[in-house]
Amino acid sequence: MRAAYCTLNFFDFSHLTKTPMTTDGDNPQTINLTINGVAVAASAAMTLVEAAWHGGVPRVTAVSCLESVCGSCRVLLRRGKEVTVNLACQTFVEDGLEAVFLPPQPPPLHHYEISDFTDGWNIQARFHEIFPEASHCRNCHGCVLSCPKGIDVEGAIALAAAGHFRDAGEAFLECVMCELCDSACPELIAPAHVGLFCRRVTAHFHLRPPNLIYRLEEQRKEKMGLTGASHDEHE
Amino acid sequence: MNMNNGIPLAQASALYRPDADIGSPPVLADPQALLNAFHPDYLGSSVTKLAVGANAGDSCQRELAGLLQAEAIIDEADLAGAPVTDIDVLVIGGGGAGCAAALAAAERGARVLLVTKLRLGDSNTVMAEGGIQVAIEPDDSIQRHIEDTLRGGHDIGNPELVAAMAEDGPDVIRWLIRAGMQFEQTASGDLHTRRAGGMNAARIVHCRDYTGLEMMRVLRESVIQHRAIEVWEQSPAVELLSNEDGRKCVGAVFKSLIDGRFRMVRTHSVILATGGVGRLHLNGFPTSNHLGATGDGLVLAYRIGACLRDLDSFQYHPTGLVYPPHLSGKLVTEGVRAAGAWMLNAAGQRFVDELLPRDIVSAAILRECQEGRCVRVDDGRVGVWLDTPRLERSQPGLLERQFPKLLARFRVSGVDPRHDPLLIHPTLHYQNGGVVIDVNGATTVPGLYAVGEVAGGIHGRNRIMGNALLEIISFGRRAGVAATAQRDRGPKKVTLEHVNRARRDLTLAGIPLTQAAPQILPDYAAKGIWNR
Repeated sequence: MRAAYCTLNFFDFSHLTKTPMTTDGDNPQTINLTINGVAVAASAAMTLVEAAWHGGVPRVTAVSCLESVCGSCRVLLRRGKEVTVNLACQTFVEDGLEAVFLPPQPPPLHHYEISDFTDGWNIQARFHEIFPEASHCRNCHGCVLSCPKGIDVEGAIALAAAGHFRDAGEAFLECVMCELCDSACPELIAPAHVGLFCRRVTAHFHLRPPNLIYRLEEQRKEKMGLTGASHDEHE
Repeated sequence: MNMNNGIPLAQASALYRPDADIGSPPVLADPQALLNAFHPDYLGSSVTKLAVGANAGDSCQRELAGLLQAEAIIDEADLAGAPVTDIDVLVIGGGGAGCAAALAAAERGARVLLVTKLRLGDSNTVMAEGGIQVAIEPDDSIQRHIEDTLRGGHDIGNPELVAAMAEDGPDVIRWLIRAGMQFEQTASGDLHTRRAGGMNAARIVHCRDYTGLEMMRVLRESVIQHRAIEVWEQSPAVELLSNEDGRKCVGAVFKSLIDGRFRMVRTHSVILATGGVGRLHLNGFPTSNHLGATGDGLVLAYRIGACLRDLDSFQYHPTGLVYPPHLSGKLVTEGVRAAGAWMLNAAGQRFVDELLPRDIVSAAILRECQEGRCVRVDDGRVGVWLDTPRLERSQPGLLERQFPKLLARFRVSGVDPRHDPLLIHPTLHYQNGGVVIDVNGATTVPGLYAVGEVAGGIHGRNRIMGNALLEIISFGRRAGVAATAQRDRGPKKVTLEHVNRARRDLTLAGIPLTQAAPQILPDYAAKGIWNR
């Protein structure tokens, strides 16, 4: 018989679930930290998510993609007197680190439905009705410091407040909607949602691709029977 | 085979040259023989026959069969005192398919409840990088899209479903743009398209390599903002509810991860949009999937009597990462190969045409690994090179312009794909089969719909790139519309009659009731959250 699974068995997840072979405290490979108040002895190169699983930290439910695009695993980090935030799946264990998984951000206070926008000429006015706080930015840098993706949130909010929605939205390309900037903002601007608004109205009003529209028009004519017998040239 | 297969990483890295002279890959004379010898689906030891249920006698992946033929998590006693919520349409799952279904139902006036295991948007959708397949170029047609999809699936897909999806394509993109999703454009304003494996025309539209993220954050915001959609997060479905004779689906039971309580939802239409199975790590493979992808929807649908299909067919995506370890199994988009990147074995040779269908490319990588022409990392895992530095040399700046996500993921770990080739190995990526549906997403059980990865029949035995993101919106909207149109007065009585029936069947078949399903979370992540 082919030993087909020999290579496959190399994919062993035991490093996530079992005690590592080196557990003694004075081994340099063991990293001691706390997660949600629980002392964890982790191996070097583990992320905080892997360390939480490995250490049996209970009730860690805010984990999903494990590649820092879903924005779920928000953590507060304390190293001595320094306090920062990040995503747990892209933060590696460090000796003495205190990490606390944060609850999700409550639903946004700003409401709009994009289908309500029909006239692009008044979109700046609508923006300031929906996000009145966006022009109150006091440049505290909290959003910039909290962003796990290194986005210049503050600069982008200024662009949005000035009506430069395309450029503001582009700055939020890598935004994973972790909403850590929303948590950080003392003016309740909800920068992540402002960024998404900017991206959405840019597509909604300006994206009109000729090749797509041409095919849609072909399909519409076919449905109306205008093309008659040549229903599909490839059939 | 032994653990000393392949060349150690440090040695292989030192041997690697981005400017080495490399010839064409060998011509693959017999793809079927390659699949038979190396693809996990084709190895007899990975499949078994189902003994009970609508698919009794059919082939099924062994570990999945264990879950499909397992005992329920709950019985009637658990439901005593559980609060009941009535709603027009219940959507289970908060990824792209679930959101599309909820939005389509709400657009037609239904009151919708969307319940999801983790956070709204936690899904495989958000990780999708490559793009959406849609036939919009002048040299392309809907018919060619249909043909490529069926051929890529080894001609066993349901042509009616494939045609429905391909025809929906252009309107799906329009719907997404209206909702505020951005796409890459050419200088003249056309949607930028790429050709990928198994395609006869350039047909992938995309938002750089963040297509899934862009789609998911727009859909998520649309759902959050919609007045007619209520969302429950952190609430896995543990069982469906049936009518008196156990033949019709009339709701579902959820268990909160926050307070541990059961809640019942009563409705005339349930839309399952629970996604795939990667976190079951079938056949011992790593996975590209998110943490919640444990096949719960398949288990629930099968227990209430729904027909499933192609349960022995899974997609092992060729380019899952081997290194760095914390990204093990995570995907490098096929777009990188579509842009021209080659794959090299440890001897620095190409070994297969990189743009053949995914199952064939994966089988070729597994062959190189098993025959020792691979690179080995310290913990014994093996892989082959994806030659990104050569791609960067031939098209300077391309990676930064078109694949920012690829570069961003490595930023924290000191690997730069522009200078270092990526070590890759096939990773469990997608469930090709699933719940049998019609063009409205309706299953064989009245009142129950299934959309997205949990559903089957579109991709045959192999999905080609870009059809997953199209399928979730196309069929999500179709099911949302159909579920809203079903206007009966809803259930008089909700029961677990189907659970009792399934238990009787298992007992009669002599299957011990030791295992309980659905899985909800992989064991390594379930501590303190979930005890069955």
